Amino acid sequence: MTWQLFVFMMINGLSQGMLLFIIASGLSLVFGVLRVINFAHGSIYMIGAFLAYSLSTILSGQSLIGFLILLMVVPPVIAILGLALEVTLFRRVYREEHLLQLLLTYALVLILDDLVRVIWGGEPRSVARPELLAGSVDIFGMALPSYNVFILVVGPMIAIGLWLLLYRTRTGNIIRAAVSFPDTLGALGVNVSWVMTSTFMLGCWLAGFGGVLTAGLSNIDLGIGMQTIIECFAVVVIGGLGSVGGALLGSLIIGTGLTFFQLPFGRWALVFPYALMALVLIIRPWGFFGKPER
Amino acid sequence: MNDQTYPSRSGWIAGIIVTVILFVLPVFLGNLGKTGEYWIWVSTEMIIMALFAMSLNLILGFGGMVSFGHAAFFGVGAYTVALLMKKADFPLYLALPAAPMVAAVTAAFIGWFCVRLSGLYFSILTLAFGQLLFMIVFQWYTFTGGDDGLHGVPRPEILGPINYYWLCLIIFMVCFLVIRMIVNSSFGLTIKTIRENLDRAKFVGINVRRYQLLNFVIAGAFAGLSGGMLCELNRFAQTEFLHWSKSAEPILASLVGGMYSLAGPAIGSSVLIFLKIFLQQVHRSMVEIWAIFLGVLLLIVVLFAPQGLVGLYQNIFHKSRS
Repeated sequence: MTWQLFVFMMINGLSQGMLLFIIASGLSLVFGVLRVINFAHGSIYMIGAFLAYSLSTILSGQSLIGFLILLMVVPPVIAILGLALEVTLFRRVYREEHLLQLLLTYALVLILDDLVRVIWGGEPRSVARPELLAGSVDIFGMALPSYNVFILVVGPMIAIGLWLLLYRTRTGNIIRAAVSFPDTLGALGVNVSWVMTSTFMLGCWLAGFGGVLTAGLSNIDLGIGMQTIIECFAVVVIGGLGSVGGALLGSLIIGTGLTFFQLPFGRWALVFPYALMALVLIIRPWGFFGKPER
Repeated sequence: MNDQTYPSRSGWIAGIIVTVILFVLPVFLGNLGKTGEYWIWVSTEMIIMALFAMSLNLILGFGGMVSFGHAAFFGVGAYTVALLMKKADFPLYLALPAAPMVAAVTAAFIGWFCVRLSGLYFSILTLAFGQLLFMIVFQWYTFTGGDDGLHGVPRPEILGPINYYWLCLIIFMVCFLVIRMIVNSSFGLTIKTIRENLDRAKFVGINVRRYQLLNFVIAGAFAGLSGGMLCELNRFAQTEFLHWSKSAEPILASLVGGMYSLAGPAIGSSVLIFLKIFLQQVHRSMVEIWAIFLGVLLLIVVLFAPQGLVGLYQNIFHKSRS
């Protein structure tokens, strides 16, 4: 393998990983605070992607501004959808057993996925990249697809933003306290149920953001929700349930792994996330950064 | 929680009546021509999926282990029958019994790892193994036909639609009685004890993992049998049989029917299939939104009737019992 090919694949793998991180970190955050594994996270992400498509046809923009508008408008809309779901449905099952929670989110998968099919139909769609991001950039004398480089810039910004939010602000302190000691937090006069709602909204915002980025990267179809949620599970399991740092590591491993294994193994590379996920669960069920449960 | 699985005298009578009706049903349907044949096919599928749902309920309802990879064994059973009959020219009477055996071996391998985990981690590991198997079948074109599946599984001449229905019904009845025997045996009681209180079960000296593994293997075997039966009914096996969304089907059936009862999952599964076909008959476009309908139904059950249909029935008719 020449080093040009290596760098090229690395950029490709890392950008895929970063995209996966943006989506999976939302799932992980929500699990950390709400203790609910949200099967519907993939469907929410898919709605974000299709919403971006619809909006892009209205904006008719290959302009950078149009794309930035998508990134500004779609994620908050998805967050509001999350607000509605949390307040009307999720809130009712926090004290129920795991199975009922899982089934509630699975019911949402059935409903939301079918709604997407009814609204947008089955054909693959995509969002035209703005001209500035459609070409390639020269780095070290190599032409790299600029959209992937763009994701590589945005991804770490999201990661740093999340880290600052969680570890450098009062809001972050409250969210982390809600993970460990929700009752104590409530006794200190914090509205825990509102913390849960906001965390869920943040998770959906991230899913929506990932959706917009995906719509520009590749074709989107009805299968991406189901496919992505399983990949997110793999990421979150590898990194540790509820750990955002772990989600970053897991995403990068899965993203680069998928890209590099494609060279020797072809389509069999797709087996890799599941194999790694099973392996981690067998050896270290709580993942790299998680904590074993009592 | 009501674990009463010994039927009362009225239960026996109801059971016998239902059995007789089920046996006579195809004769009646056979006289209806094309629609009748279609409904015999639907009824056969209902019986098979009822067995699949009951097999899952052994670990889900009675064992308290939420598996999201149960379709793996269903699919393994289906592919066993398809491969043996298509590629090795096995007759059905050898291929069908092979399905639960191969599924049991698979379940023993996967279960050996899974029972070491509990709760959510158990669920995710079963999901991971299920998807792993799905991916392997999906990618291995030369052996499994990949996403084309395996079509044209031969059917013995004497097994027309009605005869195959009867064969499935007899297998189902035998399996029902065997599962009932398992649930009511000391093994079944131990499994329920583990579900109710894992730590106490350990303290009284039960080898929890061994019991859970055995239960997992038994459930896998029954799932494999039902998979093989469906493969012969449709005369094809496809990757979708192993996908995790297929694993969700018996879970939904168990939830709708009622998890802590023996017949609940079978009833739930039949009700769901019937509803789907019924909606299809009412209007073709209704099938388009079947998933939405199912999702809403599921939401209602989760939020308002987590004990399912059997629970509702018990609440209405036996209020004093609980």
